Amino acid sequence: MFEQTALPHLNAAYNLARWLTRNEDDAKDIVQESYLRAFRLYDSYRGGDSKAWLLAVVRNTFLTWRSRTYRSVETSLSDEVERSAESDAATALDRLVDEVQVEALRNCIEQLPDEFREVLVMRELEEMSYQQIVGTTNLPLGTVMSRLSRARKRLAQCVNGRAAGARR
Amino acid sequence: MNCASAHEWMEQFLDQELDAARSALLEEHLVNCRMCSEILAQHRRLQSDIRTQAPYHSAPAGLDRAVRDALRQTAASQSTAGAAWRRWQWAAIAASVLLAASLGWNVTLLLTRTADRDTLAQEVLASHIRSLIGTHLLDVPSSDQHTVKPWFNGKLDFSPEVKDLAPQGFPLLGGRIEYLAGRPVAALVYGRRQHVINLFVWPSGAGDGESSLTRNGYNVIHWSDPHMTYWAVSDIPSQELEDFKLQLAK
Repeated sequence: MFEQTALPHLNAAYNLARWLTRNEDDAKDIVQESYLRAFRLYDSYRGGDSKAWLLAVVRNTFLTWRSRTYRSVETSLSDEVERSAESDAATALDRLVDEVQVEALRNCIEQLPDEFREVLVMRELEEMSYQQIVGTTNLPLGTVMSRLSRARKRLAQCVNGRAAGARR
Repeated sequence: MNCASAHEWMEQFLDQELDAARSALLEEHLVNCRMCSEILAQHRRLQSDIRTQAPYHSAPAGLDRAVRDALRQTAASQSTAGAAWRRWQWAAIAASVLLAASLGWNVTLLLTRTADRDTLAQEVLASHIRSLIGTHLLDVPSSDQHTVKPWFNGKLDFSPEVKDLAPQGFPLLGGRIEYLAGRPVAALVYGRRQHVINLFVWPSGAGDGESSLTRNGYNVIHWSDPHMTYWAVSDIPSQELEDFKLQLAK
């Protein structure tokens, strides 16, 4: 049954959509559309990993949505975050610094290019295996591994850069 | 084994995707190479930061309903309304039945595979799994240790220590009574991102050592102090479960 296969992955579907779109409303739309699409595609589902299958539909729905409506918000977003990260850190209460770190991490992930962000979210937040990520993205295993590695490298640079900025 | 291969394998190692032979080679190299072990530590820190600090966006309230409604409309337009409705009534319980069935299958495998050892660990694990598939995770749902601890009074012949570890990333969710090792025991329930940790506590005459094991993706660790014996079980990575244990002991 479609419902048995797909509905248990609602949180995973939303988490991926939310990280990809970076906002709640678009993520909700994408999840709804993905489930309808998946329902129509269900006849062609041949068993196997249902989470990887459903997330593949979510990812494709996102790619279609992005090609329709892509908005370039990255520069304005990052400027804003840079400013708030610095002014918060200046007040320098420990708790605030922690919040800035968490916020910096979130923003650094959001600033990763889509193709890096998606594999990172699948691996670290969805705790998917390489094979599951291959199943979802339809990318070769080597590409998944190298994108994941580059995502981590960029993320580390971004986070360390923020930390250095906050200490100044 | 040189540093170049070590670097190449490190992330696969952390992702638990490196085969056993290469893992052994890498571990041997790490013992002797400070630079590589420092790099591995950096990778590990980043991974743990992402997993503990980056938000997991769970589906907002109402999305489940909205998706079901949208699907129901589509289904209704494809078949007769009556048939679709019957399917949907059934679908309402389908998710939980599927989960129960797959977990039940794992438990069956587990019991046959390790029939004659680790019986208590199995009991602990089975209890953990039961708590997740049934409706009986919490008798006392509360994140307040001062609510949970008194709740056990009069229900158990001992008083377990109850700590909220929310600041350490393991929020207390509540507690319940379980029957394990032939006696009623305290089960304290903690959260970790999307995961649940069951901590079982009961008095033991003397310290009975420590152990840990992994079965079917679940990690179980066991330790004791002079008064109590502890079993923690979850599907979080074993190093996080060890961290949970350390935080409890603090």
